[in-house]
This record gives sequence, structure tokens and C-alpha cells, in this order.
Amino acid sequence: MSGRRTQPTDARPQDLPTKAELARLRVEYGKDARLAFLGHLDLIGTVERCVRRSGLPFSIGNGFARRMRIQFSSALPVGASSACELFDVRLTERVAEDEALERLREAAPAALAPVRCAYVDGALPALEAWLNRATWEVELVGAPFDAAELGAGISEVARRGEIVYMRGEREKCVDVSATLVGVEQVGESALRLETRSTTAGALRPRVLLDAACAAAGLGQPEAVRVRRALQRHEAEDGRLVEPFGPFGIEGRAPLS
Amino acid sequence: MRARRENLFHLIEPLLPHVEHPARYLDHEWGSVQEQKGPFHLAMVYADVYEVGQPNLAISILYNAVNAQEGMSCERCFLPWKDMASLMRERGVPLLSLEGAAPLASFDAIGFTLAHELIATNVLEALDLAGIALRSSDRDEDDPIILAGGPSAWNCEPLAPALDAVLLGDGEESIVEVCACIRDARAEGMGRKEILRRLAQVPGTYVPSLYDVVVDEGTTRWGRAVPKEGEDVPPTVLKRCVQDFAATPAVAQRIVPYMGIVQDRLSVEVLRGCARGCRFCQAGMTYRPVRERPAGQVVSCAVDGLLRSGHNEVSLTSLSTTDHSQCAQILSGMNERLAGRGVRVSIPSQRLDSFGVEMAAAVAGGKRGGLTFAPEAGSQRLRDVINKNVTEQDLENAARNAFENGWRRMKLYFMMGLPTETDEDVVGIARLSERVLEIGREVVGRGPKSGVSVSISVAVLVPKAFTPFQWQGQCRPDEVRRRQQLLLSEIRDRAIRVSYHDAGVSLVEGALSRMGRAGFELLLAAHGHGCSFDAWTSEFSLEAWEAAAADCGLDLEDVACEEFPLSAALPWDHTSPGVSKGYLQREWRRAVEGVTTPDCTRESCTGCGVCPALGVHNVIQGVRA
Repeated sequence: MSGRRTQPTDARPQDLPTKAELARLRVEYGKDARLAFLGHLDLIGTVERCVRRSGLPFSIGNGFARRMRIQFSSALPVGASSACELFDVRLTERVAEDEALERLREAAPAALAPVRCAYVDGALPALEAWLNRATWEVELVGAPFDAAELGAGISEVARRGEIVYMRGEREKCVDVSATLVGVEQVGESALRLETRSTTAGALRPRVLLDAACAAAGLGQPEAVRVRRALQRHEAEDGRLVEPFGPFGIEGRAPLS
Repeated sequence: MRARRENLFHLIEPLLPHVEHPARYLDHEWGSVQEQKGPFHLAMVYADVYEVGQPNLAISILYNAVNAQEGMSCERCFLPWKDMASLMRERGVPLLSLEGAAPLASFDAIGFTLAHELIATNVLEALDLAGIALRSSDRDEDDPIILAGGPSAWNCEPLAPALDAVLLGDGEESIVEVCACIRDARAEGMGRKEILRRLAQVPGTYVPSLYDVVVDEGTTRWGRAVPKEGEDVPPTVLKRCVQDFAATPAVAQRIVPYMGIVQDRLSVEVLRGCARGCRFCQAGMTYRPVRERPAGQVVSCAVDGLLRSGHNEVSLTSLSTTDHSQCAQILSGMNERLAGRGVRVSIPSQRLDSFGVEMAAAVAGGKRGGLTFAPEAGSQRLRDVINKNVTEQDLENAARNAFENGWRRMKLYFMMGLPTETDEDVVGIARLSERVLEIGREVVGRGPKSGVSVSISVAVLVPKAFTPFQWQGQCRPDEVRRRQQLLLSEIRDRAIRVSYHDAGVSLVEGALSRMGRAGFELLLAAHGHGCSFDAWTSEFSLEAWEAAAADCGLDLEDVACEEFPLSAALPWDHTSPGVSKGYLQREWRRAVEGVTTPDCTRESCTGCGVCPALGVHNVIQGVRA
């Protein structure tokens, strides 16, 4: 890409690098504290502004709206925090990874601070569809039951095979057998869930918990704290691939 | 007693999962001033939800001005939406500021921006939620001093009993002086009344409690405010005006919101004031004189602001941006500096001539969305009455030029209920819209795929204080509805879409614009009937307002539609934006005669009185086209 002008630039779009030539920088960041309450669209807007403030040579698409070429991992439920959110931004020029991370950190609010970045193969699929496995930490606050009782409720839900619930005014149905990979009790009032998203949908931890409470006749906790701890890709052969690779090597074994 | 200053976010946090748009209450945005040491604390309140209030430029300007002072801190506060307000009341959580999550009642002073008349009930709601007495006279010695300013301060009388002091005109200097005055007076151990007396000595500050309302044969039924016996306060409070506008920051916004807000872009205030002299326009009279920023400052501040904030859109804000004498230079400079960054430039209003179209083309690049013009009236006669100095030919040329330049959708703004308006003028709106559509079809073609369309939006004139129409009563709602139906029946082409303002909302706005201090009882009653967020179509209830008016023995229609004699002392005559009453009376007479008045930034002085009254003058960087 040497000899190309970096963006911001006044070059005509046709003179800029093609999409395949652009560097693809993958960035991992957290979503913490009160910013857990940012909705997905608000988060996207905020991250784009961080990238603009960082001064990195981001690429702009050639569509009518001239948007930044950036892709995000799947939406977190509003109120859920995360240790492992990701975005891929296309750059017109490679900036050293350390420097890119530093510039992004300086331009981001502390609660969305990037923790890692690296260039990845431009041909990899888009993040949202590719990251189909997630590990969740769920903490119950002020629950009139313990995690073991909740575990029994989850088993009952899993036995039934699906959850039908209302999201706003729309009825949704999620296939538990396809989307719930594993449940692990962590202490008195916390669980670790492993979920899989499919083309038919994804399982939200809070939906599973509500269904489990209903199935086991349990009351409602005062609050539920949900945190996405890991996002990975599950290949067709069952291999787990970490977001930053290595892309051909097996990841950790899934939770049972 | 003053509430204790403490961070109470832990009381709000558990409510967040249960409310719509929790991002409204998060604070901690990029650029917000998190260190709020004080010891003097001001809260600036925009009494509507975050996404409506955060883009307000006045809040940003004053926030920066106060936070830049040693020993002074300024935080923001917005009104929680009804779901959150109800949870807060249920759990006894008072209204909190954003930055420090401190109870509003713990601040030294609280400033309300009165952006429009319909915000009045929300001001009461904010005070109520904060646990602060609604009436200034009921407040304790140590309670916060309640300040207000902004466009609707030009008739603040209906809210005056709730306000301790009102800042008139440009606020960036006076807010600091007022805060310093309160701080020093408190330090000297002064009582509340003495503090208010001292505030009245700060130029541009009106302290309602030091004025009595007198009703006599020379006034309207609302009377006039005169200094209370023994009070050393000016009979007429003159507004403040920043003469060296270029010395103020061009970009006031430093806070980058997390959530989508109603104007989600960087604003650069390119000029202040407008001298076109449209006779219905309150801003055109109250923001004089005209002060332009140099092109170089606008461009460099815009580019710098975009880099600092990360916004992808910048708006060149003012009452009439395409009137800036260096407009073309600004836009070419922006285009040059921002090319390839995926940044949009927008200008809020288009001048109704070919220059306006050229400027629209300069900001649009290759894109062609809709283009908006404001002829305001359907006939030349009526456009002369309102002093909208554009001709039918100007509009036709602008429309033709726009269609030739690739635009397909045209939006036209009109008003209804203008003085001397006849059915012929209303029908004229339909004819003018059809003419514009016809021009589009001539240029683009008549096929169904040409995509040519015209939208017209018709507002109801609300006669405002300090305009030449301030003596005119508002058009009665039934008559407004009849004229709306007449217009609809005259529009025969489906490519013309019509939208119009609700006559009931305009009626309440009109009543609040024309009432005197006694109108506070109506506001209290309306608040009691549950009125809030009246500017939201979904929340406005004419029935509740009518019930409130009935409680006070008032009829909204009588109040809004009453004409005032030209010689009468008006409820707002004790405040002044510098424009003389004689000038407004002259302009009213010229309106009735259909005689226009030129723009003093293009031709000679028209004698409005602002420059001699305030010791200021227009600042034009080049030569206006």
C-alpha cells in the first residue's frame, strides 16, 4: 500500500485502495460500569467517534452515505457489560498495532477502553456472524433462591427444548437445545453460561433465567448482572477459534 | 434548607433497567467536565429529555463559560422522561444533576433555558421534582437562586413568580457576572432579598420580585411591571450584547453524547443576529445587531472541532447562514479541508434565491436530498405585509435552479393567520406550490419516474413579544381549521403533500406568549392537571389546558386572540432587546400598508434603535450579496 495517500484525503474514491487492499484492524474493548446501559446503535456511534478522534487512517465506503468501513460483534443486551467486545475497522494504511491501540485508548472513554488490537486477514467473515459462541457470567443479586435451584430450572427449560417469550410486542421463540451449550455454577449466586448463536437466533441470558425461574416456580431476584466474558468462533467441525486466532488451531474445550 | 451536596447515582442506577433509553441518565460523555470542585456550583437545566436538551447551544456556551472560571463549576440537568420521573417520585429520589449526580436543590444557583413557551410546565415539573418551592416568594433563605434566560425570556412574565432573576440577551458574559454576584453576596452573609437586589444591579438582569404589576387604563388586562416602591431597579432592563462576537469560541459543543440526539452533529455558530426584518420573527428582532465571524475562524474551528469530537457532520448554525458575507468562501474552505473524511456539512436554512441553491449545492456535494425554502406566505401582497423580501420571481428562479441542479423534492414552509390574510392568500399557497411543482416537471419531465414532489408545511402565526405583530391577536382556532380545510381542498395534485400545525398547540403557545404575570396561575393549574412535555405531540392535551384555564376563570382563545391597542403598555415593556417600541409601531403600520423595509446589512440603517441603545453595531466581514 506504499505510495497510497492515507485518509483523511482529498483523493477521488476510485484512486483509493480497494476494499481487499485495506488493512483490517481488529480491536477488542470492554463495555463496563454505567456504559453497560448503552444500546447497540449508541455504542456503534460512540465507537465510530472514538476511531475518528484517534486520527487513525480509517477508510470510508463508496456508498451514498459515505460511512466508515467498520463492523461490530453482535449486540449486547442493554444493561449487560462485557470484557470482550470487538470491532474491525478498515484502514487505508497500516499503523503499528501498539500505536493504533494507544491512539484508540486516548480517544475512548475509560469504560469502553480498547485492550488489544491486531491486523487480521481481510478475507475473514464479518464479526457478527463469525463469532457464534459466547461465554456469559451471570450474577444474581437479592435472589430468593440459590444458583443450584436456578440450575434445576435451567435443566427443566433445556428438557422442554424451546423458550417462547415476548420481546416488546413481538413473540419470539428460541431453540434451547441448539443455543445453550453449557451451564456451570460459580459460587452461591453466580452462573457461567456457554451459548451458541445460530441463523435462527441467539439465547439471551436474561431470557433463559426468566424462563428457568418460571419453570422452577422461583421468585425474581432484585437484579441480575450479566457480563459477556468471551466471544469465539465455532467452526463446522466443532473447533473453537479465538477472535485473534490462531485461526487454524483448536481453542479451549467448551464447558460441559 | 439547602440540600446536602452528594453523589446519588447509586439511587438512579437500579432504576435504569426499568426505563426507556437509560442512556439519557448516564453522563460521563466525552468532553463533559467531570471535575466539579466548585466551591460555587451552578446547574444549567434544559427542561426536556436529554436528547432534546443536549444539542441546545446556549447550554453548551454557558457551561463552558462558567466552568472556565476559577472556583466555579457548572453541571447539566435534563428532565427525566415520565417513566423515570414516576420511579424517582415513588422511591423519593430528587432531581439530580448529570456530572455530580447531586440533588438540584443542593446547588448555589440553577439556570433554566427558556427555549420556547411550551417548556413552561416542564420548568415547574423540574422544580417540583427537585423539591424546590415553585414560587420564588416561598423559597428559604438558603435555597438555590433560580435563573432563566433564552428566547422565551422576552415574555417571561407568566413564569416570573417562579424565577428569582432573568438574564436578557447574550448570556456568556452575564452568567459569569451573575454567578460571581451570588457567590460574593453569600460570602458576605446577605439574605435572599438582598442578593436579589444586588443581582438587579448586574446589567441585563431582571428580578421579577422587585417589580409590581400595575393594571390601569394605559395597559392591557395583564398590566405592566414597574419598580416596587423604594427599589432601586431600572424601569426598563436592557439586554446584554456581546459586541466582539469573533472573540467568543466558534464551537461551543465539547460534549459528545453517547445516544442519538435530535441534532446529532457539531454546530459552529457562524453569525449571530439577523436584520432581514421579517415582521413575525422574534429572533430577528431580539438578536440584533448582526455579528459575523471571519471565514477563516469558522473553517479552522469546524475542522478542529470535528477532529476533537469525532462527529461526522457539522452544521453552520445561525438565523440565516447563507446571508454571511463570506458564505461561499466558508463552504469552499470546508469542502477543501474535509474532503475524503466522510463528513457532511449542513446549513439549517436556505435563502430563497439562486445564491441559496448554489450554497446548497456546495454543501450537498453529489447528493441531492430535499431542499427547503420558506416563502412564508402564498401571495406577494402578504409577503410584503410580513416583510419577507422575496418575489414570486425569486422563488421561481430558485426552484428552477434547484431542479436543474438535480433536486427532485422541494419543501416549502408557510404560515397561516398572518395579519390581513384573506382566503385568496390561503389559496395562493396552493397555487404557489403547484407552480413550483410545474417548474419541476418542466425541467425534469412529467413521467411518473421523474420523482418531482413538493411538501408544504403550514404553521400558525403566534404573535410574539418585540415583533411588529405583538399587538395582533392570534387567529382563532376554528378559523385556522377552516383555512386549513380550504387549503387542503385547493390542493389537487397528489405530488403535493400538506402538513400543518395543530391549532390547539398553537393556541396554548399563543396564550403563553401574550399573558402577563397573572398567567402563572394558569401554569400552576396546568401542571396540576398533569401537563408536561407540552411540545411533544404525544403528550400535549388541549383538554387539560382548557380545564386549567377554566379553573383560573380564563378562556385560552380570549387570551391568545386578543388584540392589544398600539398605544397600550404591554406586559413585557419593562424589558428591552434594544429595538425601540417606536420602530415596532412603525413597522406594524408599514405592514398594514404593505410597505417593505430593507435589510440594514445591505442598505442603510432602518432605525430599529439597537445600535444606539446598546452601543453596538453590525459586524460584516465582507460585502453581503
